[in-house]
Amino acid sequence: MAVNWAERICSFSRSPSRYLCESTAEVFLSELLRELRDDRATFTVKVLLLFPLCEQPTLLCSTNAVGEETALELMSVFAQCPAKSVQFRSHLLLALTSVLVCTSCVNQHSQASQDFLELLLQITQDTSDLHGDGTLRCLRAVACDCLRELEACCPTLLSQHLELLSGLWHRESTSLHQAYAGLKTLVLRNCVYQLSQDPGAGAEHLKALLGVNASVAWEAEQESGLGGNKDSAILCTLIMSPMGTMPILQTGPDCKELRSVLSSLLEESYLLTPLCQTALLHRLIEVVAMVPGVSPSIFRAQLLRLLGTSEACLFHSTLLMKLAFTDSLFSADDEAFILKRLVILSQHPLLSTPEKLFYMDCILHFPENRPISCGDVDESLPVLLTPRLASTLVPTVFNDCITMLARLNLLSLIYLEEAEEGEEGKGVAYLYGHLTALLNIVENGGSRELVVTFFRAAFLFLLYFGHMERYSNSMIEKLSELYRCHSYLALHVIDLADQTLSHLSESNWAVGLLRAMQQVITEAPLAQLTLQDLHCHLKLLARVAEEGDIVQHSTLSFLSRILTQPSLSLCERSNWRQGNAVLGVCRRLLVHPSLDSLLIPLANTLQHLTFYYGDTDIQDHARLYYTLLTTLSREKLAGVLAQGVSKGRHQVKQRSLSAIMTDSDGLTSVLTIHQTETPILKLVEWIDSDPQGGEQTHQKGEQANSPLLEIYRAQFKDPSFASEIPLDYHLTHTQAHHVCFDQLFSIRLHFELTDHHYEELCDISVPCLFKKQPAPVVKLRLKPRWPFPTTIHASAIFTTQDGLSWYSLLPDIHVTFQQVLLPLPSPPSWGAAGRLSVFEGLWEEICCVSSKEDGNKYATSLFCCQLDVENLAAWVEKHFLRFLITDPSYEEEFKVLLFLPPQSHVLLKIKSGEDVVHFSIATENWQLLPHINTFLLTLTSLQEINDI
Amino acid sequence: MSLRALWIISHDKGENGSIRFSRRFSTVEHRAKILAGGSYVAVPEDSIMLQLLLTELGLSDPQKSYVPLRDDCLYRQRSPALELRLDGPVKRVLWPVVAISQGSLILACLCLVDAPAEPRPPLSSLLSVSQGLTLLSGLQTFLLGSGSKPDNEGLPSRLAMLPSVLLQVCPLGTPLDVPPLGAPPVSTVPAPAGSQKQPAWKTGFYRGRAVVNIALLETVRSMQYGNQSQQDLWDVYGTVTCKCDVEGVLPNVMVTLTLPPNGSPLQDILVHPCVTSLDSSILVSSSVDNFDSSGFSGPYKFPFSPPLEPFRLCSYTSQVPVPPILGLYQLKEDDNLLRVSVTLKLHESVKNSFEYCDAHIPFFNRDQMSVVDVKVSSGQLDVVKEKNLLVWILGQKFPKSREVTMEGRISFSGPAPGPTDPLCTELTAYIRLYFKVPDTTLSGCSVDQHSVQVYSSAKPRIITSRELQAKEYYIWNSTGTAPVSSGQVML
Repeated sequence: MAVNWAERICSFSRSPSRYLCESTAEVFLSELLRELRDDRATFTVKVLLLFPLCEQPTLLCSTNAVGEETALELMSVFAQCPAKSVQFRSHLLLALTSVLVCTSCVNQHSQASQDFLELLLQITQDTSDLHGDGTLRCLRAVACDCLRELEACCPTLLSQHLELLSGLWHRESTSLHQAYAGLKTLVLRNCVYQLSQDPGAGAEHLKALLGVNASVAWEAEQESGLGGNKDSAILCTLIMSPMGTMPILQTGPDCKELRSVLSSLLEESYLLTPLCQTALLHRLIEVVAMVPGVSPSIFRAQLLRLLGTSEACLFHSTLLMKLAFTDSLFSADDEAFILKRLVILSQHPLLSTPEKLFYMDCILHFPENRPISCGDVDESLPVLLTPRLASTLVPTVFNDCITMLARLNLLSLIYLEEAEEGEEGKGVAYLYGHLTALLNIVENGGSRELVVTFFRAAFLFLLYFGHMERYSNSMIEKLSELYRCHSYLALHVIDLADQTLSHLSESNWAVGLLRAMQQVITEAPLAQLTLQDLHCHLKLLARVAEEGDIVQHSTLSFLSRILTQPSLSLCERSNWRQGNAVLGVCRRLLVHPSLDSLLIPLANTLQHLTFYYGDTDIQDHARLYYTLLTTLSREKLAGVLAQGVSKGRHQVKQRSLSAIMTDSDGLTSVLTIHQTETPILKLVEWIDSDPQGGEQTHQKGEQANSPLLEIYRAQFKDPSFASEIPLDYHLTHTQAHHVCFDQLFSIRLHFELTDHHYEELCDISVPCLFKKQPAPVVKLRLKPRWPFPTTIHASAIFTTQDGLSWYSLLPDIHVTFQQVLLPLPSPPSWGAAGRLSVFEGLWEEICCVSSKEDGNKYATSLFCCQLDVENLAAWVEKHFLRFLITDPSYEEEFKVLLFLPPQSHVLLKIKSGEDVVHFSIATENWQLLPHINTFLLTLTSLQEINDI
Repeated sequence: MSLRALWIISHDKGENGSIRFSRRFSTVEHRAKILAGGSYVAVPEDSIMLQLLLTELGLSDPQKSYVPLRDDCLYRQRSPALELRLDGPVKRVLWPVVAISQGSLILACLCLVDAPAEPRPPLSSLLSVSQGLTLLSGLQTFLLGSGSKPDNEGLPSRLAMLPSVLLQVCPLGTPLDVPPLGAPPVSTVPAPAGSQKQPAWKTGFYRGRAVVNIALLETVRSMQYGNQSQQDLWDVYGTVTCKCDVEGVLPNVMVTLTLPPNGSPLQDILVHPCVTSLDSSILVSSSVDNFDSSGFSGPYKFPFSPPLEPFRLCSYTSQVPVPPILGLYQLKEDDNLLRVSVTLKLHESVKNSFEYCDAHIPFFNRDQMSVVDVKVSSGQLDVVKEKNLLVWILGQKFPKSREVTMEGRISFSGPAPGPTDPLCTELTAYIRLYFKVPDTTLSGCSVDQHSVQVYSSAKPRIITSRELQAKEYYIWNSTGTAPVSSGQVML
């Protein structure tokens, strides 16, 4: 069983969503809680069971109420748990904190969270194990951290307990004092923040907060919680920018209580672990920054110790002080010293690479006392960082790749300033030399990581020094040389060209690079060309062909040469990939601006492929391109092919299976059907306000003599007679749709039945649908086999203005019972008497048969309900006018005949009794009775609602 | 200041990546949601995280030479804080993910950004980043040991201990400490009575005779080119490691480093957090200054209260006037034959008594060695033909002249190609020296036994030692082009 749980918990944390697909959150949660209460389960397993609650409380407790309930359960488990299982009890506290915080119970001060808070405070004060083995101390430490987290998530929650925490901190001599110190500082910080938001608050309130005898009492507003976003500011670090919107608590100079609290915390900060020390310092910096009455010099005693430390986080806290207090704590000399220290740390042989990189990043965002560019968040150099100082950070080939790039970035910024001042100094030359050294390593077979690093370094260099032609031109030469021997770098070269093109839009370096690449490829002797090389060359040439400014004749002559080169025997090999790559180049040439001058060689190449290439698919495509090239005008050709290209190379392309043919996406997107993600169209029922045949003349008919029923029935010998239910809809756009669907053409609607009650439906065509014009009417003709309600799936294929074809699902069409009802299909010449006669005939027949024989489908029934008898006539007229057989003015009894194709009838006699209305029902198909019942219930309840 | 989630990943050169451990801190996530508001990006499930991390670290799909997401040349900060680009219609990034790796193990955590998300705050304003770094490296040491070679044997059992370790060091996503090394102290000694608070970084108390062990280790690195155009480089850095067994809650110890007269000052001093106070003059001297204004050259006093475990009290760098061994390496190519000539001189100031001293002379991008006709004036020469490597074992002593030479010819016409290296092509070649000299330092820095003060009742036993070792000690062939190893001298 235990193994089973371990596996289950493991699979849950691996992928909670997949796990909860198989089970539900409620079930899983209840299983967890049940097992937690099970005495047979070991505590090791029980600790495991708590992890899902700690890690994913919101998944398991979807609502606040479930969270509250779960917390109560967990607390009862805690209460019953033996005191010695400290690990389990500690994890229980963590789970409780997670559940209560994440389900917002703490914010809303729910009962469970209040109880939990009490419990935690109780544990933290429980010093009964003073001389014990320290295991209980572990629980107290965890309880403190839970309190700290509660306060962190719901600031000022513990504001009333600040005095208590101070006392605990003072008295504690075991290592637990650390937990109290952290907790106390956080509460203090949050309270001071809250005070600073209160315009009336001052020194007296601060004293009250610190528990010193004071004339005013202060209570943090507990109700505010953290409901709205306005309060999320209290969660933010206050050390961001010296000119930022720092909340200030005006106290005047009289702050000695606060000062003494801060001093004693600082004095003992040395006893804390570096991580806790940093957190404590961070909070204290915030407090001092908020209270101008306390001078930042309070930190001075700690500074040297912190500046000399080898711990990254401790040193970091001095940078935070620098950021918060600038020249009120640090002189210009201090600033120079800290910067120097950062440079040392950025390259110290004993520090780890991530630490050094962190320090290097700090140099780029150095908090200067007097920043020149204020509010600038981007990387900028501190004024004091001279090229001389930074020279210890120049990149070398011995650096690891990430360090090398970070150093190159930093040094480029330095030398950029130099270059801007007109001194084309040694700095840039050194960096370029470094780049060349990297290139040589790549040339000599450097690792993949080094190749990637070289291209990143090259891009970085271009970004800063691309305007210096001496270097940028030389780089093109060097890259060409590199590519000549290492064609496998084609994709890297393309990426470099693309990125420089998009980041250095004014520069035409990328075009120059591509032109040089074209030259390298097309001028190289074909004799040594391998197929692998060729594949890379073709990729690169395809990219070159996208540049309108590059003349493409050499590319075409290269294509024609490789197709006829005997050593390659491309056509005979009939490799699909190679052929496709050749076509990829041709495809781009088809839309090249200088197509006119390329026409003949391109046509020849395509024709060659069509006739000689060994792969049919390639032949077909070549033929298609050839046809397009020779028959379409340039504009049309561009129109057909441009789509794929204009979409841009960098966007994620929508790929369909038929677009495997590389780079023919544009074409295939015209030729394939795309699918919309959401429905674009819908059908809305449309009721003709002027129904035909609705105006039944109630004149007295002539043919009162008999077998009218027979005549009526004879009509059905024609199977098409009255066999259809006409349903009319408007075809409209759904609410949310993209602009490109505003105008739709050639819409073909397709319907699919979900049951066998109806005959298959034919497709319906709608010529067009425009957003701001009247919706076209779609007439559905349902042919029932059995007249029951149904649901129909609908879909549409249509074309948008840009010529793309789309497939879109429509919301399902629901056909209700009511929609299936038709008036009696009697010959039009019959009058009311004729119809009445049919009614009577049918009624008699049904009553007669249903009472006699078993096993037939005839049935009679009675439906009663309370209806306003006075308005019965109006009610009947409202709902049954089309089906009424008797005159509506004849109020004693209404006879209604509902016809349901193909051949079912429902006959109703509606009569008002003393206080109820009787609906006598007769039908030849008892399966309709439940539907009629629902139908009548709906109608009558509607009436009630209307009356109310 | 907190972490949203933590992952430990193992992989085999990018393949078979798997998440060995992960932890999400839901309450921190709750805060992240409130802080980030509309720009909140949820933490994806483990399998997606794994892929994103491997891609961003350049480790995914090792068999493919180019993968756009992994290899694009756009520069962005990749370390220590990565940004992971999530799939989806809207471009969303998870930032900052702090990741460190050693061997086949990657440790990563997602830090809470407790500042407005836009514009992206600099790392220097996010305390959670340096805290994440500290916690991760602590975890790394706990999992793999602090030695240079990762101890992968104990990894599974240590991973299994992580839940209870995290309960102590990071129960709710806010790191409190780094995991303790070695076995947790089974100190049942009751705390000495008194009002002195116990340091939180000290997990117990020592009982017994006071012993203070101080070891000074200096490391020398060098790049020697043997020609006019490139200046030779060398540097020295030292570390002082202590193990103090002293009674008391917060005992005071003072260690003093002294330099000989005329010794160049110790620079770039970094100290352990247990050092209680520092004199400003100690920190002034730095290697990045071209002049030293202070003129301070010791004594360097470090008052501290020791933790129980061994720790690095301080480290420094020093600029010594000469390298301990000066070498000259010359190669001449003659058809398929290399003429080799090496001279190594031991400086007179260095004690001629090595624990070991080896010179490794590798040859790259050539066929295997066939005939090795090389003579050495001292020591013994091993030829490792399949690695194209000569190992010159100089032993414990240089001869009286303090100079050794190697002359000879090597032909490379072996049956198979030898090892390759993209840097050492043609005549670019090096000799690498490995040596260790006990009881000496290059800077002259020393810890006098008598200067160690322990403020406690019993007289302590004090052991001091010092040692010099070489690391990255290269002598490049002066007839070939050698790579630049520092721009400092060039600029």
